[in-house]
This record gives sequence, C-alpha cells and structure tokens, in this order.
Amino acid sequence: MKKYLAAGGVVAAAVLLSMATPAYAHRTDEYLQATMISLGRDHLRLQLRLAPGVAVFPVVLASIDSNGDGVLSLGEQRKYAERVLGDLSLTLDGSRIPLRLAASKFAEVAEMKDGLGEIELDFDAVVPSGGSQRRLAFENRHQSGISVYLVNALVPEDSTLRITAQSRSYEQQSFKLDYAQTGASPAAARIGSWPARGELTGYVGMVKLGMRHIAEGTDHLLFLLVLLLPAPLVAAAGKWGHYAGARSGARRLLRIVTAFTLGHSLTLALGATGVVRAPGAIVEVLIAVSILVSAVHAIRPIFPGREALVAGGFGLVHGLAFATTIAGYGIDAWHTALTVLGFNVGIELMQLAIVLATVPWLFALARMPVYGWLRTGGAMVAGVAALGWIGERAFVLVKLVS
Amino acid sequence: MMNAWRKNATRAVAVTTMLGLTATAAAAQTATGRVVRAARAFLTTLDSAQRQRVSFSFDDAKQRARWSNLPTRFVERAGLRMGELSAAQRAAAMTMLSSALSARGFEKVQQIVEGDEVLKQNERNNPMFGKDLFYVSILGTPSETAPWMLQFGGHHLALNITIVGEQGVLTPSLTAAQPALYTLAGKTVRPLGQENDKAFALLDALDASQRAQAILNYKVADLVLGPGQDGKTIQPEGLKVSSMNATQRAMLLDLIAEWSGIVHESAAAARLAEIRAGLDQTWFAWSGPTTHAEGRSGTSYYRIQGPNLVIEYAPQPLGGDPTQHVHTIYRDPTNDYGRKLTSR
Repeated sequence: MKKYLAAGGVVAAAVLLSMATPAYAHRTDEYLQATMISLGRDHLRLQLRLAPGVAVFPVVLASIDSNGDGVLSLGEQRKYAERVLGDLSLTLDGSRIPLRLAASKFAEVAEMKDGLGEIELDFDAVVPSGGSQRRLAFENRHQSGISVYLVNALVPEDSTLRITAQSRSYEQQSFKLDYAQTGASPAAARIGSWPARGELTGYVGMVKLGMRHIAEGTDHLLFLLVLLLPAPLVAAAGKWGHYAGARSGARRLLRIVTAFTLGHSLTLALGATGVVRAPGAIVEVLIAVSILVSAVHAIRPIFPGREALVAGGFGLVHGLAFATTIAGYGIDAWHTALTVLGFNVGIELMQLAIVLATVPWLFALARMPVYGWLRTGGAMVAGVAALGWIGERAFVLVKLVS
Repeated sequence: MMNAWRKNATRAVAVTTMLGLTATAAAAQTATGRVVRAARAFLTTLDSAQRQRVSFSFDDAKQRARWSNLPTRFVERAGLRMGELSAAQRAAAMTMLSSALSARGFEKVQQIVEGDEVLKQNERNNPMFGKDLFYVSILGTPSETAPWMLQFGGHHLALNITIVGEQGVLTPSLTAAQPALYTLAGKTVRPLGQENDKAFALLDALDASQRAQAILNYKVADLVLGPGQDGKTIQPEGLKVSSMNATQRAMLLDLIAEWSGIVHESAAAARLAEIRAGLDQTWFAWSGPTTHAEGRSGTSYYRIQGPNLVIEYAPQPLGGDPTQHVHTIYRDPTNDYGRKLTSR
C-alpha cells in the first residue's frame, strides 16, 4: 500500500512538473553543437550541426543577424560560418591545419525560433603527410557559455587508416583522436608503394607523382610559363625590346630553367629528409608572390639580366612546397633518397615537356609585333591570379597566427 | 470393442494431424502474408484520393527519410493522419500495424502514442500533440514477394518497416517517450521502462574493470545518430562484448530485444540471430549516473554498437526532468530501409 502511495506521489509530481514546464520544442536552453569527423588519407571533413534551443536562440540570432532585420542574408551566414571557424581549432601531430568552409545550410529563422531548425556547416582540410602514428586534436570554443557539444569520428572509409584511441574533455569541447596509418596513400597505392611492389615500380611511381604534381599544380605551371614569357627578348631602357635571337634567347632560357631546377631540387631534398621544415601556409603565400613578381617582370623588366638568380631563389620556395607532398613517404634513408630522386625526375620531365611545348612558339611569336600584346596579356592574367592566391592564402595565414 | 477404440484413436490422430497441418500451413503464411492481407484490407477502406495520399513509390528516398522525433507541426509528415480517418479506416490501419509487429512491439507503440495524448492533456490540450497526429504511409505495393515498406509515426515515434518476401526490417526506427511515466485508467505505464531497467541491470552485472571500460568519462547530451544520420558508422567506444560472460551477453541480448523485438516474431528472430552473430564485435558504452530511482527511468545515456547495429538511449532535459523524457534510435547502418535486401 505504502509503495502504491509513493508511486502515486511520484506520478503526481511528474504530472505537475510537466504541466509547469512547457515542452513545445526540441531543446530549450542549450545550443547543441554536434561535430562529425570524416578522416581520409590526405583530406578530412568536419561536419557541424548547430541546433539552438528556444531560450538561447535570441543570443544565437543576435550573433548572426548583425543588421537585426530578422533575415539571415548570405553575407551574414558567411560571416557567422567564419566566426565559428575562428572558434574551432584542429591540429595534427601538434601543428595546426587550416580548415576551409566547404558548404553551409541555415534553417529558416522561424523554425529556429521554435528551437527546431539547424545550421549545418561543412569544413574540410588537407591532411599533410606524416608518420604511421598520428594524433588529431579538435577543439570547439564556440558559444561555450550556452552550448552542449558532441564530437565523433566516423570509421574511416580508407582501410589503411585505423583509429586507435579517442579521448574527450567532459563537455566534449576538446577531442583527441589517435590513428594508425598503414601501407600507402591512395596516390601512392595507385603508383606502387615502398617496398612491397619492388624498388623499380616504386621509383617509377614517384616519377609519375612528380609529373602529375606539376601538370596539376596550376601555380607551379603558371610560374614557369610567366618566367619564360620575356626570355626571348632583350631588355632596354626599362622596357622589353626586340627579339634577342635564337642563340642568346636559348642560352638565357636554359640558365633560368637550370637555376629554378637547382633551387627546388635543393629544398626538396632538404625538406623531404626533414633537415629543413617550413610552415606550409607561409610557403604557399610566397609561391603566389613569386608568380606576381614574375608577372610584373614579364610586363616591365624589374630584374633584367638577373633572371637566373631570381629563378633560383624562387626555386628554393617551390621546392619546399614539393617537399610537403612526399614528406613521410620514405620509410628509411635509402627509400627517402629514392623518393626524392624519383619525384624530382618526374618534376623535371614535366617541366621539360612544358618548355619543349611552349618555347618554339614563344620564339616564333617573339619576332612579331603581336608578341607584346601576348606577353602583357598573359602576364596580366597570371598577375591577377597571383593576387587572388595571395589574398586567399594570406587570409589562411592570418587565421592561423591569430 | 477394441476395434472401435482403435478406430476412434486412428480418427483422433488423423484429425489432430490435419489440424496440425492446417496450423502449420497458416503459420507458414503468417508473417508477410498476414501483413499483406491486412494492408490490402486497409487500402480497400480508403477512397481513391486517400489511397493516393497514403501511397508512395518504394524508392522514394524523401518519404523514407521523412521522420523525426519532433512534433508533426515542425517536421511535416506525409501520408494519412490518424485524425482524418473514419473509425473503420483507423481500425484497419491499426490492424495492419499490429500484423507487422509483435504483441509487445504493438503494445509499446500504443503506449508511446497514448503518452503523446497524455502530454497533450498535460499541456492544456496543446494541439501540437495527441494520438490523432500520427501518420501512416505505404511505399510500394503490399506484396508477398516484391519489396515494400510500411511507415507509422509522429511525435516521438518513427517506424520504418521494410518487407522483402518473408523478411522484415525495422531499421532505422525511433522510439521515444514523454512522459516516460504516466498513469492511464489507474495503471502506471512506462513505454520505454524496460529499455531503462534492463540497461541498469546489465551495468550492475558488470565487474569493476568492465564498468571502467563501459563508462565514458564525458557527457553525451543527445543522440549521435538521430534522425537524418542514416548510414553512418561512428568509431565505437566503451566495453567490447567479447569480454562479457554468458550471463552478461544474455542480458545484453535481452536489452537489444526491446528494439529488435518490436517487429513481428519471425523477423525479430532472424534479426536477433544476426545481432548475436556479430556480438563479439559489439560495444556497450555508458554515460551518466550508475543508479536510478526504483520504478522510474534514470538520466543516463547508453549506446550499443555492433557491425550491423546501433542503439542509442538518450534522456532529454526538455520539460525540466530528463527522467520523464527520453529519445532512442535503432539502426543497422548496413541496412537502412532494407537496402541490403533490395539492392542488386
């Protein structure tokens, strides 16, 4: 009897409680932020689902709707996504890796007012190569006063990746994930991995990787082409003048290409063996700067006669970027050497192919008056692209530093 | 005399055998045959406009995924709403649903629906809740051979039942309850009470080192793989079942059966066998208090995850009392909407 009374009391209390508190919506006084991490070999994705509860929605809305008109414009959405991005941090093996906003979706304000709608933000990041045991650390500091957090990792689709441990802070604001990386990357798997498929296959694979790196790397390609544009000409009185002649032009061209090759070979070797380590974000900005400088030079000679020196200097910068592609491929000194050599041979082969394909045209056209337009036009296009890259990459850099 | 007795006995045996055969034949037909008959019967009670609204194409991906824990006012459902059906149509819909479910499964569903009615009354007749706001839909044509799907759901309930021949797949489905404890006609009802009580019993049955592995040292505020998260497999955590003894395993399977046993008996048996086969690679993870008040649900989250199974039980703070509000999800990431059986 007593038991029934107690149960009755509990039920009555429960009924009273649920009467006292309206239960209209999904969440009330919390901002749910759920992150799902999809880990890939050289690429990863962070999907954030942000669900503001009714009671906290005004706070969230105020931070998105900066002009207070009750509508979330695309500009406001973008700004908010960037604010969230600024409150996230992602590091791999202790170094920060930049996240990029890939997609976003905002529910209607009316839905969110009722505590129902969600904001979905997708970020992605390039995963620099590294060792076989890796640690990813993620932190979300966005709106920590009102939020609850979830963070999980999907089982990687790439079977060469295996999550070995996870740890979280009590509120799930910070998350650490250890994973093991076995075998070769998808790129290396296609071209043969060390040492399972034999030295030669691996070497040929690296040559192919180097070739592809140049063929697909618009910025390297553009730098090279812009650098070659004024090669057949003679500079005079601060302007590009007449055609220099086949012999003199060819000699200059050879010097430029050789200097660039020597420069990037040196830093590629130093970078890939880990002797020199340069922050990727700075290198990326410098590469864009190198294109801009060459483009300006192609319009007006700013360093006539010293092209080879400049090409060598910029070669050093480009080599550092090449190095990040193959860092971690080599399992020992011998294979690292083979990797560097193979990759570099690939780069040179592709570079040579481009030179052979474009130079005869340059020399043929350089004799004609139309070449002035061609050179200036090409340089302008490259310059604008370079400015864009500088802006974009500097933005990433500033984000990283701040 | 002896002869007559023998004759009677022979007759009795013959009759019994025939009865037995008839019963067996009926049983062989029961599962899918029974559901198909009930579905056709329901369809014949509808007028043509209603039939059109209740029917969707089997591979209508949008309709498949049109379910949620949220009230129907916020996440609009399609199909036919219970409240717009006549008494006869509604009864036929319920017969169809009960034919696809086990007795306990149907009872659980009714208790969730009744709970929403209680919630409506608790909220001064809030028009957002109530048993009239549950929807039924049929994807494809009810058939004993070709695949089709039956959906029933609303606030705090989403059943997706894919029928392929004799097989019945209930994943993904969502059961939830608010209030998690109520009285109806003098009886105390806890729609998802077993899901709570059996889980705490299992946790109690673990030894100290197993518990240390099972209990996560962080808070889990909500379902990780709730509505909209079809086909995802997260990195599992907690205690691996391979280190559980026979008693603990039996308790775990009994807990899992609260979800896998919602569908009709033969489909449930096949599903449980599949889950049992993957038991060694299954994980049990817990977050929150390790005790609960007798006769009431606790406030702890748990997750059971195996090669073809995800179950999450997540008490909700909404309404002010997480013991009175819980969401659960039941999935097979390899077999959303019977994908494994229907894709060639």
